[in-house]
Amino acid sequence: MDPAAVPGIDEHDIAEVHLVARGIATAVAPESGLSDVQADLLEAIASALTGVDVDYRSCEPLGAADLAAVIGDRDLDYRQRIVHHMVLGELVLRPIPTVVAHRVAQYAEALGVKDDFVRVARRYAQGAYGLAWKDLSRNGFVDHVQAGGEGEISQGPGRAGKAGPAPFDPAELDPELAATWRGFAELPPDTLGFRVWDMYDSRGFELPGAPGGAPRYLAQHDFVHVIADYGTNLKGELEVFSFIGRADPDPKGFAWLATLTGLFETGYIPTTGFFDRDVRERVIQVPGMHRRVADAIRRGKVVCQHNNLDLFEVDYYARAAQPVDEVREDLAVPPKGDSAIDAGSVGLDDLEGMSEIQRQVVAQRRGGSQ
Amino acid sequence: MNKNFSQTISIRCDDPAPIIALLEQWDIDQASCDIMGYMGIRLLADRDDPGAYIVIADFGVVDPDVSAADEAARNNDRPETQATSAAMMSHCIGEPVFRNYDELYRTDF
Repeated sequence: MDPAAVPGIDEHDIAEVHLVARGIATAVAPESGLSDVQADLLEAIASALTGVDVDYRSCEPLGAADLAAVIGDRDLDYRQRIVHHMVLGELVLRPIPTVVAHRVAQYAEALGVKDDFVRVARRYAQGAYGLAWKDLSRNGFVDHVQAGGEGEISQGPGRAGKAGPAPFDPAELDPELAATWRGFAELPPDTLGFRVWDMYDSRGFELPGAPGGAPRYLAQHDFVHVIADYGTNLKGELEVFSFIGRADPDPKGFAWLATLTGLFETGYIPTTGFFDRDVRERVIQVPGMHRRVADAIRRGKVVCQHNNLDLFEVDYYARAAQPVDEVREDLAVPPKGDSAIDAGSVGLDDLEGMSEIQRQVVAQRRGGSQ
Repeated sequence: MNKNFSQTISIRCDDPAPIIALLEQWDIDQASCDIMGYMGIRLLADRDDPGAYIVIADFGVVDPDVSAADEAARNNDRPETQATSAAMMSHCIGEPVFRNYDELYRTDF
């Protein structure tokens, strides 16, 4: 791979990339060694973000102090995101061995990183799932969202002067909001508004503000489905939230990936109110999914560097009449990488990117067979 | 192998509502503080003996070198634990009965 040709890949010292990988691998390895899902995911992320291929399965150990000597001079944001890669490497384990969770905490401490997600992973390892969810929802979302709003935040009509959104509040009936969404149907078909309305309409989703519709706050991520061109099945949701999480300049955006991993991979989280646990198909273990998640993280990083804005805070309503391509350009959303496309990352309108129920509705509305 | 530890506290009271409120606040506080062995708590009402309740506090291992029972002892020494315990007891009638258990089996999912 030519790093210079792929957005999101900064120039890296190859030797340092390998040292960091050794540190991460040492931190997250259970006694039996790295699991396949750990190694595949961490390799894919390293490749997507650095352009360097690392064989995590053959990494020599690197202790916490030695890793700190390598990256201790890097800024806190960088070190914290390295710790998040460790945490992600833990979160795909079920169970998380206590010794692993404890070791990651020691690495975080050596790196000078005090991070809520390290603690959440330790609670999972301990079996304190209720406390872990309180911790994750409070420190990962509520505080973060309430502290936000510095940008062009608006979750639609009627929000001027109102308090910040609560991410897990249930949906409320809001005729004004529903009318706005219905109005998107009248926009030209290449616009953001029409495309997001079409996404809802074609799948039979109720519109935000209408009975059974998505909560106002959550509906923000549906605009991102359109802009980033990700499907709406569980795999697509994991991609879109990996993208949103990394696009957030606040490292707490990692909460999204941590949450969806808990919902759709390991089952540590039973429900968030808008998504329920579904581990019938452990989604990160789906062939190619590690590359899709890694590419979404890379794309999110590009958006973060360009905008420095949580994508949940973008006023998409003000951009609804803009062509989607223009919005993508404004937000500097890079195209998907070939590795993700080759691994099965499909676009929003592709039937492969829909759940079985969504496909059935689409087939009915199209009046034909699947 | 990690072995969890549970402490039960048998109490009597006229109204469990203030105790439930205390436990809810306790959990909120614990979720945001540095991790310790505390895993969670349950308050159960005795259907056959109205006014009788049992509190079950669970503890687990977070440091491979510290047992869950030792984590519970550490937790017991914290001023906030003592304060919450005292507040809870102020709503109780009579003396509480404490029991300490090592967990031998738990259904997992």
